Amino acid sequence: MTYFADKSALVADIFSRYPDSPQGRRSALMPLLREVQDAEGFVSEARMAEIAVLIGTTATEVRSVMSFYSTYHTVPTGKYHLQVCSTLMCALAGSDELWDHLVETLDVQPGEVSPDGRFSVQKVECLGSCGTAPMLQINDDGYYENVGPGKCARILADLRADRQPLPDNPVPVTVTAEGRQVMANGQTVGTSLTGLGGGTV
Amino acid sequence: MKVTVDGHELDLPAGTSAIDAVFGAGGDVPYFCAHPYLSPVGACRMCLVESGSPRKNPDGSFVMEGEGDAAKPKIFWFPKPMASCTMQATEGMHIRTAKTSEVVAKAQAGMMEFTLLNHPLDCPTCDKGGACELQDRAFEYGYGASRFGFDRRHADKHYPLSDFVILDQERCIHCKRCVRYFEEVPGQEVLDFIERGGHTFIDTEEGGLPLGFQGNITDICPVGALLDNVARFRGRNWEYDHTPTTCTLCSVGCSITADARNGRLERVVARENRDVNEAWICDAGRFGHPFASEERLTTPLIRNEDGQLVPATWDEAITAINRGLAGLSLADLGLFTGSEATLEEGAALEALADVLQTRHVDHSPRQAVDIAPTATLTDVAQADFVAVIGADLGEEAPVLELRILEMLRGGLLPPEFAHGTAIADLRLVERPARQPERLAVIGAESRLWEHAGHRISANGRDALARLTRPDTDALKAVGEALTKAERPVLVLGADALNGASGSFAATLSDLAGRTGAKVMAIPAGPNSRGLSALNLVPRAGGLGLDRLSEVPAAFISRLNPGLRARGFTVVHDTHLTATAQLADVVLPAVTNYEKRGTTVNLEGRLLPLNPAAIQAGEAADLIRTLTALAEALGVKAPVRGLRGAQTLLASRLGLKLDSLPAGGVIHRLPRAHTAPAQPHTPRLWTERMVRRDQDWVDRIADLTQGGWTLPVAPTAPQPGGDD
Ligand code: SF4
Ligand code: SF4
Ligand code: FES
Ligand code: FES
Repeated sequence: MTYFADKSALVADIFSRYPDSPQGRRSALMPLLREVQDAEGFVSEARMAEIAVLIGTTATEVRSVMSFYSTYHTVPTGKYHLQVCSTLMCALAGSDELWDHLVETLDVQPGEVSPDGRFSVQKVECLGSCGTAPMLQINDDGYYENVGPGKCARILADLRADRQPLPDNPVPVTVTAEGRQVMANGQTVGTSLTGLGGGTV
Repeated sequence: MKVTVDGHELDLPAGTSAIDAVFGAGGDVPYFCAHPYLSPVGACRMCLVESGSPRKNPDGSFVMEGEGDAAKPKIFWFPKPMASCTMQATEGMHIRTAKTSEVVAKAQAGMMEFTLLNHPLDCPTCDKGGACELQDRAFEYGYGASRFGFDRRHADKHYPLSDFVILDQERCIHCKRCVRYFEEVPGQEVLDFIERGGHTFIDTEEGGLPLGFQGNITDICPVGALLDNVARFRGRNWEYDHTPTTCTLCSVGCSITADARNGRLERVVARENRDVNEAWICDAGRFGHPFASEERLTTPLIRNEDGQLVPATWDEAITAINRGLAGLSLADLGLFTGSEATLEEGAALEALADVLQTRHVDHSPRQAVDIAPTATLTDVAQADFVAVIGADLGEEAPVLELRILEMLRGGLLPPEFAHGTAIADLRLVERPARQPERLAVIGAESRLWEHAGHRISANGRDALARLTRPDTDALKAVGEALTKAERPVLVLGADALNGASGSFAATLSDLAGRTGAKVMAIPAGPNSRGLSALNLVPRAGGLGLDRLSEVPAAFISRLNPGLRARGFTVVHDTHLTATAQLADVVLPAVTNYEKRGTTVNLEGRLLPLNPAAIQAGEAADLIRTLTALAEALGVKAPVRGLRGAQTLLASRLGLKLDSLPAGGVIHRLPRAHTAPAQPHTPRLWTERMVRRDQDWVDRIADLTQGGWTLPVAPTAPQPGGDD
């Protein structure tokens, strides 16, 4: 069964965002991939081929674009896809230990799904939450920050019971007042997403 | 446009890239990703130079430097080295290469260090060793040492992309040449970079590379990452005898280099010929050569009393022929040859036929009509409309297909400089826009079909007639496009030419005349154009190859109709074919890889053949074999050697064949001789061209049991020495 066969309205909507030309149609690649990934958790070879036909290119090109991003998966993921940031800040704060712990206790390696179908793991590059290292992201749902051994155990216990704890920061990530950098004159840096505004802390 | 390279000023045409400016000045820049027939992308960062340009004041005058008469426009240098392959040289530009700039030398050495960061350096076992850009450039431009002490990344080795192409992912330096080649040249995007960053590798998701033009990536890969699996592990570059010659599997006549080692033809690679194949050849030409060294006939065979073919000497064979033909009138001996025979061989055959007064002369395959070509391959590439009628180019003339695809992307031919084809033609772009509306394919479905804007299923035989009197809207559209086009070309293939009658030529010239189209008809065989110009067709009352079984006696060279003549039959061939097994005497022949001579391609271009060093025992070419045949018949052979054949051709066809330029030369041959012919289906890959499954065990057994001769010093006493 093809995925888009009964979704012509959706496909037409995606195509309508791009110029009506061969190049324009190719640009629809990413939203189509996203669509499949969200629905099925990964993009299989059959889906790559299907998308290739839709946008008038080859499966090789689809795979090439797709494999450029760590957010698309070629293999099935678990119900909870745990993404551990392993870039420098998190590494300094213990992300390696966190990773080892997850891999050991869940008995799952990258590319695998744990026997109960719940967990899969992936190392990712900086998720931009270095101030709260080590951190992990579960699915697209949000950031779990300062994940030490205790917090990790609590999160895993909840997930095993299929009660996903609320993330510390839902995606898109907001920046709390404490998380903000302050300049020498006391001015906070950057603009706030949450409307916390500038001024001194 | 004046450009100064390392202090030398030179004059260059506008649009020249900086890398070509340097080569134009006789300088050198190392490069990996640039390729004359591919878009420049600046992927390898090796071709760095320092560059600077004069700058103008708001009033239009140059910013000057110096006082009075010594004042010169001040050169503003880019703050960092630039990739010269993607930079256009501009008026007044100054360029400094590693020769004069320490910055460049250091940058290139650093780049080299970086490229070698993860490279496995298996030069001692790598097939590319000795012809590897990376090896050479690392030696010339590298530091000779690395500051990276950690372990190299490891990736898949011996990863088959197809039966013919093996990828070593570790050796890939990500120059993207192979990716660009598939996108830009055959228009099949089946290779791409997978993953990103330090893990990037080349792969295909299509389940393998398409057969047709895949082998070219093994030529253009600057390192040993993509290797020709037929030639892999069969020799090192410096061990091969490289023979520049011409491929005669089809009538395009691509320039190739035949690489032989220890008397075996081990590898065929493409050789640049701007007018014919540019830098490409087809897969049959590249991978189909093993037959030249496998199961060859090396001595004559004669049939003994028990009816068995047994090895014999040439003298015995001549005696056997003499005995077998005794009492036969010489005029009853039929002379037949395959269409890949050279012009010289054809001349010798024709001359002998004249002496014997035989009417049974033929070459095969051939067509019943002769359509003189008026288009060259360059005309095809630069046409603004091409109609392909009744042709399956994949089987008939593959590289012509590439030239048509070149036309679809604008027909940009890279300029030529004294240093050769432009290394980086800045007009070539990645993912070029194609204009499918410029191509019409009329006939059966073929590979070219998917690139064509006009696709018309038709019976090839009446396609031309229908095009002259269009009966459908689609055909009308093609007719209109032909009329509107300024440089249209008509390509005719076997389906259109098979069984064509006299009126065909008239219809065609009428259509061509009306539309101003140039014509390229694909000959039936590799050199049928040349052989038809000699009178190698059945003479009045003569029997052609299709009536071989009625001919009283025959000499058949390199043809395998699976029949024999009514009477005594002599077969001259490279292998013991079905026909040879029926013969009374079999004479060993040489392949076209081992001949010296001339062939005529589909444009009417004379192209030279040169002999590669292949062991073929006592095999002989057609000229020498005919001399032996004449001896058996008791007549004096009119042509006894290449020189004699060329002299004859000079007087008959006005050809000067002893001094052909390497790229060949177009020669309008006089009227061709034609006769009714059997329709034929062109097939590029013949059975014997497919290598039998021979695995390593067999190969090693081969080696140890003397199938190969190892290069050992001769046992004869060496001259000189102390003792
Ligand atoms: S690709 Fe070149 S540098 Fe690399 S191992 Fe082979 S010969 Fe050596
Ligand atoms: S396989 Fe060869 S041609 Fe292709 S990107 Fe790698 S080095 Fe370049
Ligand atoms: S290093 Fe982990 S979020 Fe940036
Ligand atoms: S960057 Fe590769 S040749 Fe210029």
